[in-house]
Amino acid sequence: MMAPQSRLPEAPQPSPGEDRMVRIFQYAIACTPVVFIGGIIGWVTHLIRTSLKLHDVPSGAIGISLVSIPVFITLMCVLLYVLWGILNDRRAR
Amino acid sequence: MTTWGMVIDLDRCTGCQACVMACKAENNVPAVGREEAGKGRVLSWMQVLAEPDEEHEGEVKRFVPRPCLQCDDPPCTKVCPVYATYKNPEGIVAQIYGRCIGCRFCMAACPYNAKFFNWHEYQRPAAGQNPDVSLRPKGVVEKCTFCHHRLQKAREQAAVEKRRLLPGEYNTACAEACPARAISFGDLADPTSEVARLSRSPRAFRLLESLGTRPKVTYLTEGEGRG
Amino acid sequence: MAERVEVDELLLDPIRKTGRGFWIAFVALLGLIAWGAAAYLTQLRVGLGGTGLHQPVSWGFYVTNFVFFIGISHAGTLISAILRLSKAEWRRPVTRMAEVITCMVLLVGGGQIIVDLGRPDRLLNVIQYGRYQSPLLWDATSITAYLTASTVYLYLPMIPDIAILRDNLRGKRNFLYRVLALGWTGSERQHQVLNRAITIMMVMVIPIAVSVHTVVSFVFSMTLQPMWHSTIFGPYFVVGAIFSGIAALIIAMLIFRRVYHLHAYLKPIHFQYLGQLLLVMSLLWFYFTFAEYLTAYYGAEPEEMKVFWSKFTGHFRWQFWAMFTCNFVVPILCLTRLKKNTVPRVLIASITIVIGMWLERYIIVVPSLSAPRLPFQEGSYAPTWVEWGELAGSFGLFSMFYLLFTKLFPVISIWEMHEGRHQAIAEVMGRVKSYLPDQTAPVAAAAREVAP
Repeated sequence: MMAPQSRLPEAPQPSPGEDRMVRIFQYAIACTPVVFIGGIIGWVTHLIRTSLKLHDVPSGAIGISLVSIPVFITLMCVLLYVLWGILNDRRAR
Repeated sequence: MTTWGMVIDLDRCTGCQACVMACKAENNVPAVGREEAGKGRVLSWMQVLAEPDEEHEGEVKRFVPRPCLQCDDPPCTKVCPVYATYKNPEGIVAQIYGRCIGCRFCMAACPYNAKFFNWHEYQRPAAGQNPDVSLRPKGVVEKCTFCHHRLQKAREQAAVEKRRLLPGEYNTACAEACPARAISFGDLADPTSEVARLSRSPRAFRLLESLGTRPKVTYLTEGEGRG
Repeated sequence: MAERVEVDELLLDPIRKTGRGFWIAFVALLGLIAWGAAAYLTQLRVGLGGTGLHQPVSWGFYVTNFVFFIGISHAGTLISAILRLSKAEWRRPVTRMAEVITCMVLLVGGGQIIVDLGRPDRLLNVIQYGRYQSPLLWDATSITAYLTASTVYLYLPMIPDIAILRDNLRGKRNFLYRVLALGWTGSERQHQVLNRAITIMMVMVIPIAVSVHTVVSFVFSMTLQPMWHSTIFGPYFVVGAIFSGIAALIIAMLIFRRVYHLHAYLKPIHFQYLGQLLLVMSLLWFYFTFAEYLTAYYGAEPEEMKVFWSKFTGHFRWQFWAMFTCNFVVPILCLTRLKKNTVPRVLIASITIVIGMWLERYIIVVPSLSAPRLPFQEGSYAPTWVEWGELAGSFGLFSMFYLLFTKLFPVISIWEMHEGRHQAIAEVMGRVKSYLPDQTAPVAAAAREVAP
């Protein structure tokens, strides 16, 4: 796979301040999987707890979460792996 | 455990709809107006269904007053996403207007079409309303509650007088109003109550029994035999 | 990289330049969205009474639209994930458009349920008081998972393309590209990480997508209503979703092929293959429909037959037979013998299928509610301008999202086209060679004699 070329000669060089802004946004994006998917998992557990407290078919909540929570955790891990993998390699270069 | 139930004797029912009017008055169920009624949006917790006669065209075979059947295995409570409808320990399927999000899943699930929706803001405070029953806002589902507010009042009264609730002290508006005394209401778990006795009558049947909803409203068929 | 950009320069044109056509489309879509907004604001003001809904038909257009739009979202999964998984090389120019459809249409589809609520201000009750016994909560979880997975599955393969945009386009959007490119340099390690993630995602997305439309079908099949309480609904809905999804994808591809001059990338062979897939799905859809109705008819349960006859000869016969024509008759006529006049045939089939599948959702939702088991006031549902407006607005919103996407990102994956030119051919040759028998002595001897 060919490596991408650097920018065209006419393109302006980004300022170091801009560079930092970009980096801040990028790391923020890399943290969103934890926030977002962590929130979803928290929500699912909250629903399990509510159904247990009210004795309202807890088997449904537990059954669904046995499938959905692993799926969400896998999604989160894949996302973290790829986002941090791509971000960190840049520094290594 | 107290289990509230109802028996409706179809041999006595004349189709006069006094039960319907009493229910509307007791529970602040408004008239939606002619235009809305024409669109099929009548609010009527108790309805008298007219079963057509298959053999004689245009004639009514019998009248079937249909409140909420207060099923013991309600299809509506299963599908509610927010605990807005649930079966309370005494068997009444309750409706929490303040939590209902108006998804109308319970309406789609009820095989008896016993649930109604506030398509507009039909209810505004007005003179002559029953202060014991809250007005429902637009966008929520409502249905017959076996006049649950009457139970609460009777229980409070009994508690004040430091005694137990007497049979007959809590009665629904429809049962009270019926001039033919076709509707009996009471505690199914009390073996001495009239409701318990009638629900075991050889004339007793339940609507759509094969669906397994186990409704607590039992009907007595006309004549001597089984419905 | 310079070579890559020059060869595929055309794909950057829509992002660089904006013509008059874009503005006409933009204004037209804005009009549709405005109609939808007016409709919804009316509904917020007066209540759901502004629609044609009533008792017993308390679900109508909005639930139909919900199932329909979520169904279309299966386009992305099928093309992108399954074709990638099966190493079908013709998917290269198609995957990006498919993935975009999924993400955009899921947003609109999920929005339909919110529009349908009597009390949308209480939407958070679903989060705070949700009950997992209710199919609506299964929907909420499943669609959230699918939306997350699809967005990831759209974004990851876009990263190298965003890097290309970052390096070749100046202007205000450059900051956005720099952020989203995540410092992509195309190094060996980055490619490894990305490919591994895409592989995992493409496997994960398929069962998630299947679960989504299955649980949407459960909203109906878990009730006791006649002709809803059917065990076939899960697979039936999934097949219908893939069916309508491919049709919608074809229409989107043909539109963008025309307006962005992508004829070199989207060739008749692509439409031929998609058309063949569409034909297969049409036959599958017919098979499920036939099984469903034959079972109901043979069992002859009176309450089911009331609904059955209302569809075949009664109040809903126009919609029912139109659906059948659109979903089966027209596709069979159009999609056999696709080698000639591929594009017109496939376009006509796709448009009729999209209409037909919307009608199919309508035919599932409304007739069962219209013929209740008890002698209730049987109802006749007639949608109002509010519901038509909502449908128009939803369609407009989805199209607008899509249109704006094409102004920011390339609608065909540049790096995958590049990969196709430089790596895939050798890879495929190697694969085919591995299927054939290894050289044995006699074959080799003959080859040595004949070869120059």
